[in-house]
Amino acid sequence: MAPPIATTPPVLQGPSAKEKKYDRQLRLWGANGQQALESSHILLLNSGAGVVGVETLKNLVLPGTGTFTIVDEAVVCEEDLGVNFFLEQSSLGKSRGEECCRLLLELNPEVKGFHIQKTIADFVKRSDLSQYTLIILVAPVGSLDVASEVSQIAWDLRQPLIYVHSVGFYSHTSVQLPPSFPIVDTHPDPPSTQDLRLLQPWSELLAYAKTQTADLEAFSDHDHGHVPWILLLLHYLEKWKESHNGEFSVRDDKKAFREFVGSHARTDNAEGGEENYDEALTAANRALTLPTIPSDLKSLLLEEECQIPRNSSANFWLIVNAISTFIKKHSLLPLPGTVPDMKSQSKDYIALQSLYRQKSQQDISEVTSNVRALEHALNRHIPIPDAEISAFCKNAAFVKLIHGRKLIINPLKHGWNDNSITTIIEHTTTMNFVSGKPSLFPILIALYGFDSAIAAAASVRPESNNLLAAASASPGFFTLMETYIRDVFGKLDSTSEDLDEALQHTLNIAREIQRSGPGELHNISSLTGGMIAQEVIKIITKQYVPVDNCLVFDGIESASAVYRL
Amino acid sequence: MARERSMSQSLGSLSRQLKQLRVLMVGAGGIGCELLKNLVLSGFGEIHVVDLDTIDLSNLNRQFLFRHEHIKKSKAVVAKETASKFNPSVKIEAHHANIKDGHFNVAWFKTFNIVFNALDNLDARRHVNRMCLMADIPLIESGTTGFDGQVQVIRKGKSECYDCQPKPVQKSFPICTIRSTPSQPIHCIVWAKSYLLPEIFGVSEEADMDISENDDNIEEIKKLKEEALALKKIRESLFKDNFAKLIFEKVFKQDIDRLRSIEDMWKSRKPPEALDHDEIAQASAGIDPGVSRQDQTPWSVTQNHAVFVDSIRRLVSRYKIMQGGHTSPVITFDKDDEDTLDFVAAAANLRSSVFDIETKSKFEIKQMAGNIIPAIATTNAMTAGLCVLQAFKVLKGEYHKAKMVFLERSTARVINAEPLHPPNPSCVVCGNASSNVLIDPTRATLGHLVEDVLKQELGYSDDISVLHESAIIYDPDIEDNLSKKFTDLGLKSDSVITIIDDADEDPRVNLSLSINEQTLPEDKQPVILPDKVEVPRKPKQANGIKGPDSLNGNGEQQGEKRKRSASISTEPHSKKQASGKTDDALLVDDSAGGAIVLD
Ligand SMILES: [Zn+2]
Repeated sequence: MAPPIATTPPVLQGPSAKEKKYDRQLRLWGANGQQALESSHILLLNSGAGVVGVETLKNLVLPGTGTFTIVDEAVVCEEDLGVNFFLEQSSLGKSRGEECCRLLLELNPEVKGFHIQKTIADFVKRSDLSQYTLIILVAPVGSLDVASEVSQIAWDLRQPLIYVHSVGFYSHTSVQLPPSFPIVDTHPDPPSTQDLRLLQPWSELLAYAKTQTADLEAFSDHDHGHVPWILLLLHYLEKWKESHNGEFSVRDDKKAFREFVGSHARTDNAEGGEENYDEALTAANRALTLPTIPSDLKSLLLEEECQIPRNSSANFWLIVNAISTFIKKHSLLPLPGTVPDMKSQSKDYIALQSLYRQKSQQDISEVTSNVRALEHALNRHIPIPDAEISAFCKNAAFVKLIHGRKLIINPLKHGWNDNSITTIIEHTTTMNFVSGKPSLFPILIALYGFDSAIAAAASVRPESNNLLAAASASPGFFTLMETYIRDVFGKLDSTSEDLDEALQHTLNIAREIQRSGPGELHNISSLTGGMIAQEVIKIITKQYVPVDNCLVFDGIESASAVYRL
Repeated sequence: MARERSMSQSLGSLSRQLKQLRVLMVGAGGIGCELLKNLVLSGFGEIHVVDLDTIDLSNLNRQFLFRHEHIKKSKAVVAKETASKFNPSVKIEAHHANIKDGHFNVAWFKTFNIVFNALDNLDARRHVNRMCLMADIPLIESGTTGFDGQVQVIRKGKSECYDCQPKPVQKSFPICTIRSTPSQPIHCIVWAKSYLLPEIFGVSEEADMDISENDDNIEEIKKLKEEALALKKIRESLFKDNFAKLIFEKVFKQDIDRLRSIEDMWKSRKPPEALDHDEIAQASAGIDPGVSRQDQTPWSVTQNHAVFVDSIRRLVSRYKIMQGGHTSPVITFDKDDEDTLDFVAAAANLRSSVFDIETKSKFEIKQMAGNIIPAIATTNAMTAGLCVLQAFKVLKGEYHKAKMVFLERSTARVINAEPLHPPNPSCVVCGNASSNVLIDPTRATLGHLVEDVLKQELGYSDDISVLHESAIIYDPDIEDNLSKKFTDLGLKSDSVITIIDDADEDPRVNLSLSINEQTLPEDKQPVILPDKVEVPRKPKQANGIKGPDSLNGNGEQQGEKRKRSASISTEPHSKKQASGKTDDALLVDDSAGGAIVLD
C-alpha cells in the first residue's frame, strides 16, 4: 500500500511518545500493567559470570520497568567481555555492576538504575529489602546459607523472589511467591471462557428460546439451518425433559441427548446436513455442564481477608467478599455475558447477544451494590471504580490463587518442601514429555550439586575474586559435585533400576557442567533471561499465570519442564 | 583467548568452525536484534544483515540495538554499528535493501553456510524459503506474536519447507455484513476504514464493484451502489462548512432509514436506529474534541460525534494542502496517523450505536483496524536463543536432532518441540524441480519458452501455467503475453519463473527456472536450457490436501488479486464465510496476513 502523501499527524492530537513506544506491549498487559511495571523496583543480586541476570534486566528495562538495582561484587575481567553484551573494552577492571548499569540505562531513558559493589552477604545484612518489588538472586551465591537467608527474608516480607542458574547448556528458574498470590486478570484463552447457563437459564432466555423455536418443525430449510445452536440446545432440553419426568442428568443423559438432538437435523437438503446442528453437537459436551465454582475461587472465598474485610483491605478482597455474597444467594457466578460466534442469522445473533449482555450487566450491578454496601459498612470513602468490579466479575471463573512456596536452596539440608519421596523419584525418572528423552529433573539435582561444590570451594578460598575460575581449577571439583549428587540419590532410598540410570545421567550432566568451565553461554543466558523477565512481568503486573514454581531448561535438547516443588 | 573460554569449552570443535562461517540474517527487527547479539557473542565469523526498514519509535520497546536518536535510520546499518562494538573480530555487513532485489540471487545465497529468517511478513518469508531451497542452504525460520513464538529448521529434502503446510487465510467478511447487517464491532470498524474513509478521502472502489448475474441480492447491491454514488456527490461539498453534517446525515440517517424500510430485514430483530444530527450536535456542543486522547475507555455518542466532526475538519484541511500539488489527493488509513484513526474510531462507534452493537475504545479500535500484533522483548529473546540452538544442530549436520520449537503461554511446559517433519511430497514449493534457462533479451518471447522449450523439448501438454512472483503470466486463457518479450514482462537475469503442470493425468511437479540473459547466436533459438532438465511426476495425492493449482495452500494469494464480486449474504455468521471463501468477501486488511508473522 502506498503511504498517504502527507501523514505527519498534528502533534497536539497524538498519543504521547511513551504510549507510542510501548504500544506493542500495551496490547498484552494494558495501561494498568504498564503502570505496575513503571512503579516497580527490581533488585538483582548478581554472581557467577553474571550474564543471565543482566540479560533479564535488559528485557525489563526495554518495556519500561521503573527502577533496578544491581548488587555485584565483581570487577570486569577479560572473560566477561566475551559473554556479556552490556560491557565494553573500556569496562575492564571497573565495577561490573556499575558498567552493566550504565550500558543498560542507555536502552531506555525513562528507567532509573543503581549499582552497589558489595558481596550479597554484606548487602543483605545491611539493607532494607522491603523497598524492592521483586528480587532476582543469581546462583552460585557461593554460600548456601546466604542464599537461604535471602529466601527467608523475602518470604517474611511476602516479596516475590526468583532464583536462577545458567551453567553451560543448562538453566533453571525457581519462583518464590508469597503464600497467597491471587491473579484476577489471567487472560484465559477464548474457547474456555464460555458460561452460557444452558442448564440454568434465566427466565428471559428461556422465554426467548421458546418463542423462537415454537414452530421449529415447520421452519423452511433455510430457517431451520440457521437456528443458533444455543437455542437448539435449549429447545431440545425442554423436549427431553417432557419425556423424562422433567429431568436431565448431566452425568447420565448427555450421550443419549446428543443423539436425540442429532436425530432432528435435516439431511434431505442440498448439503446433506445442517451446520448449526453439527455445532450444537460439538458444543453440547462443554456447554451442558453445571456451572461450578472453580477451586481457585473457592479457596479465595475461604481466605481470612475475604471473610473479614477491613477498612484497609485491598479492593481485591472487598470484591471477592461481594462476589461471595452473590454466590451465596444464587449459587452461581456473575454471568460473563459473551456469546461465541455461531451459525445464525444476524438478527438472532444480535438478540442473543443482547440478552446475555443485559443479564451480565444485571449481575454486575448486583455485585457492585454489594461492594457499595460493604464500603459503607467499613466506612471507606473512595469507591472502588465500577470498571474494576466489572472486570473482576467477568473474570471471576478464571481468577487464580497461587499458594507460593519457599525456594529449595539445598535439598540435602531442607528436603523437597512437602513433596513425597515418590514424587521426587517420579520427577527424576519420568521421560520428558516433549523431547522423549530422559527427565530434566536430574539437571536440577546436578545444579544443586554445582552450588554445593562452589560453596565448598569458596569456604576454602573465600578471598578469591573469581570464584568460578578458582573452583573449576580445583582438582576435586567434580568429586564435590558427585558426592553431593550421590547423597541426594541416597536419600531417595530406592533401589529401582530407573533411579540408578537417572543417577548416571545426573553425573553425566555434572561432567558436562564441569566441561563448560563451568561458565555461562551467552545464548543460553539470553534465552533464560527472556524466560525470567517474562515471569517477572507476569508477577509485577499480576496478569497471566506465572510458572509455579520451578522451570528447568535443557539447551542441548531445546526442551523445558516445569515442576512444583 | 580468555574471552572465548566458556564458549569453546561447551561447543568443542564447533566453536572453531563458527569463526569460518558466513551467516545471512534477513530482518533486523525484534528477533533480528537479539539474534545478531547472540550470533556475535557465539563467535560466528561473518554475518550479513539485510533489512529494508527504518527505525520507528514503536520498535524501541524491544529492538535494543536502536536508540531514540536512530529513528528513521536504516535498521541494518544501525544494528551493524551497535553490534560490531561488542566483538571486534566479527565481520558484519549491512544491506539496507529488499531481500527480493535481483542481486540477492541464488548464487549469492549459495555463499552462505546458513540463513536466519527474522522477518515480519509472509511474502518475504516465502521468498527466502524458495531461495534457500534453490541454493540448497539450510534456513532457520522464526516468528513471534505476543507470548507465542516458533522456530523451524528448513533444509531441502530433509525437512518440511515453509510452504509445506498451508498458512492461515486472512479473515474476511461478506460485503453485506459490512454494509447492511453488521453485528459485531469489527464489522463497523471495517466499514469505517475500508468503505467510508476511502469514499470520502480516498479512491472509491464502489464503481468497480461487480454484480454477478445470478445473484438473488442484485437489488440490494444496486441500492448499495446508489448509496455510494450519493456519498460521492456529497464529496463535492468537501470544503463547505457543513460538510461533516452532510456526511453524518447521509450515513447515520438517510442510509439507515433506507435500510430500515426494507421490512423483511427487521421482521424479528431490532431495526437500526438512525441518529439525529442536530440533536446530538446540540448535546455535544461543549465537548472538547481533545477527548480523542482518552483512548482507554469507549466514548459516548456525543463524544464520538465531537471527534467525528473534528477529525473530518483535520482531514479536510490536510486534503486542501495536499491538493496544492496533486490533482486528486488520497488519504489512506494508517494506524499511526491520528487523524485517520480518530475518524475511523468515531465513525465505527457511531455506526455501532445505530445497530446496538457494543462500542470500543480507540485503543482497541487501533488494534483491530491496524492489525497490530503485540510484540515484547521477552518472547524475542527466547525465540532468538532457540534459533541459535537449532543452528548448532544444523551446522553439525544433526538433522535428526533438530526440532520445530514452539513457545507457549501455558506454564505447564513453556517450550514445546517436535521432530522435523519430512517434506510434504505434494508441496508445490519444495517438491519443485529447478534449473536455469538462457534467454536472448533482444529476441526471446514468452512464446519461445512455452512453445519451443516447454511443449516441444520437455513435452508438456497445453495445460500449463507460468508464474512470476506468484502472478500468472501465462495459462491457456491468457495468451496475450506469448508474443511479449521477456523484458517487457519484467523478466531479466535472476528472475525466477515457475512452470505448473495443470494436466489432470499424472502431472509433473512444479519447475522453477532461473533466468540468465545472454546474447545468443542468430542461428540458435532465443530460449535455451543449458542443462539437462528432468521434471518428475507428482506423487499420487494421498489425502488430497492440495490441488495442483494452489501455489501455497490457499487460493487467495495466488495470481492476481481476485475481483471483488458482491452478494448479500443471508448468513453473516457462518463460519465458512468468515474464514475462507473469497467470492463474496471483502478483505479486512490487505497487508500481510497469516498467523505468526512478527519480527
Ligand atoms: Zn515444501
